[in-house]
Amino acid sequence: MLNTLCKKMFGRSLWVYHANSGGCNGCDIEVLNVLTPYYDVERFGIKLVGSPRHADVMLCQGPALRSTAKALQRAYEAMPAPKLVFAIGSCACGGGVWFDSYAVIGPVEKIIPVNYYIPGCPPRPEAIIYGVAVALGLVEKKVAPVQFKSLELPIPRYHPSDLRGSGEMVVYEKMDKV
Amino acid sequence: MSAVSKLKEALVCLKAGRVTLPYPPQGHPVPPNFRGRPVFDATKCTGCAGCANNCPAREILVFDVCQEIRILKYLGRRCTYCGRCADVCPEKAITMSQEFETGTNQIRDMQQSSELFMSTCQRCGRCFTEPTVLEQLKLKGYRQDDLANERWIFCSRAYLENDAVVDDIRIELD
Amino acid sequence: MSSSLISAVCGGVMNVIVVLAVAPLCQGVLRKVTARIQSRQGPPLWQPYFDLLKLLGKEDIESGVSPAMQRFTVYLSLAAVLTVACFVPMGFGAPMDGAGDVYLLIYLLTLCGVCTLLAGLAAGSTYSLIGISREMMSMIALEPLFAVALVVGAMHVGSFRLNAVLNGSVYASSGISWSGLIMLGVIVLSFQAFVQRVPFDISEAETELMEGPLMEYSGPKLALFKYAQMSKLVIYSALFVALFVPWGSGLWYPLGWVLFWAKVFVLVLLVTVVAATHARYRIDQAIRYFAGLLAVAFLALILASYGY
Repeated sequence: MLNTLCKKMFGRSLWVYHANSGGCNGCDIEVLNVLTPYYDVERFGIKLVGSPRHADVMLCQGPALRSTAKALQRAYEAMPAPKLVFAIGSCACGGGVWFDSYAVIGPVEKIIPVNYYIPGCPPRPEAIIYGVAVALGLVEKKVAPVQFKSLELPIPRYHPSDLRGSGEMVVYEKMDKV
Repeated sequence: MSAVSKLKEALVCLKAGRVTLPYPPQGHPVPPNFRGRPVFDATKCTGCAGCANNCPAREILVFDVCQEIRILKYLGRRCTYCGRCADVCPEKAITMSQEFETGTNQIRDMQQSSELFMSTCQRCGRCFTEPTVLEQLKLKGYRQDDLANERWIFCSRAYLENDAVVDDIRIELD
Repeated sequence: MSSSLISAVCGGVMNVIVVLAVAPLCQGVLRKVTARIQSRQGPPLWQPYFDLLKLLGKEDIESGVSPAMQRFTVYLSLAAVLTVACFVPMGFGAPMDGAGDVYLLIYLLTLCGVCTLLAGLAAGSTYSLIGISREMMSMIALEPLFAVALVVGAMHVGSFRLNAVLNGSVYASSGISWSGLIMLGVIVLSFQAFVQRVPFDISEAETELMEGPLMEYSGPKLALFKYAQMSKLVIYSALFVALFVPWGSGLWYPLGWVLFWAKVFVLVLLVTVVAATHARYRIDQAIRYFAGLLAVAFLALILASYGY
């Protein structure tokens, strides 16, 4: 019974560890903004801690670099279960504009498993709070994959294999089927 | 004395009240020029792939299935919301909306893909070819990005001579 | 004899339960008022209860130099703090008065501080060692202050028994009690350090030392440590009230009990206001501050020995 109570309390008090593995610090500043009085995320019970052993959530920012990959993995393994990882910013979600650089391995999920993504460059503090609210189950997520397919091809097509004749007198054979 | 000044400081801060925005129900209004997520209107798109040519993060991938069908796929992962695609599009099919509430647990949710019909010449049934080979190389369809692995083919790997292993982590290169 | 023993033990258990129940609430009040001073909304009042429950449900990663010692220091710190709770009068008389005297109280209070040192040593990482070296330096200058206050009270009353000392004894001299007033000023000026709040929480500086001695503790051990820290706030406030502001505690139940908790609440508010408006001291600035206060405290001790 105590176990279920503790599991339920997990969402009410998340302790956050901020790990920047090589980003430009833009998302750092936005994360810091989230902790200021204007956007105050402490009303959800979220607190910034200085050690990964105390933390439940790791906020990853910046792409995974070849030099910091090992450190990021060690910080992830130092966190006690149950744990979540948030990838903040387009560098952590997909590598950013540096995805093919010599120093960058790629997005953070090539090193550690990521639970929630908050894309943006940098994401607004409201966007970060929205992502946290989606993780806590307070709101529904607003994005879904969009796919557009032409159901029928709009104008008749002419294939070279249906052409007869050569030079001036090229005739389309399937005229009646068009 | 400093103690009195500290107490005065506490009183001054208390007078400021509570400045916390009650977000998520209601937040700060978005500034007018704010660039949020790009929205692709596939009905206006002609498939010129100008957006794919100009994206600095190579986020828009192009694949020609056959002569008439071209797939343009926008993966939302690395987009920096710079707006170059919207600037370059000749048909104004891309608009930078003001959506920023894009937190999700699967990054696949950010994709927008469109399968487009590319019309061929009505007399001979073929697409136009560029005059020189160099021009042909610049064609998007010539490159054929790898949609299945979501990567842009012209990724320069010349700097990595052998296997990419950092300490004991194996990195899959693209 | 046995009935008084049983009643003493029951009273002690009651005190412990009350301290355990109230300590997270005081911490919640502290966080909420800090947030209001910073013009933001702040966490709900019950937030520390949620924090402790969540920490109890997390996995316990055994790391550090000696995990067995880590387990021992966690239990020892909480046990020391709760044992002090048995000696402190909380609106009624203290339940276990006859079991010890002023020296036992001083020893237990120092033991609470030593447990932090042991915790950092058991963890053994660099940040922990820096944290405990700073804690050691500040403890040397800090622990004598409360001890001098208790001894001044004992000298005025003429006995070391707790029920005599913890009853406003510092004012008990003939005429105006100069040493009592001096000790009141000294303890008020250094109270923040006893409860480990800004500006004197040097060993657990989050931004400087990654939480110092507590760095390697996770899950249930961290929960117990945080509980011990929260209980320290309540216990030191109760001791302060019993020693320096005891008026009204003799009233009949429940008025005396309500008055006691009101005084503790006022003290917690004072701690909060000072903690929210100050910056953290460096270790050398803190040592100089405590050394000055220690000199004044010894002056008060000399005055008390002459009967003033």
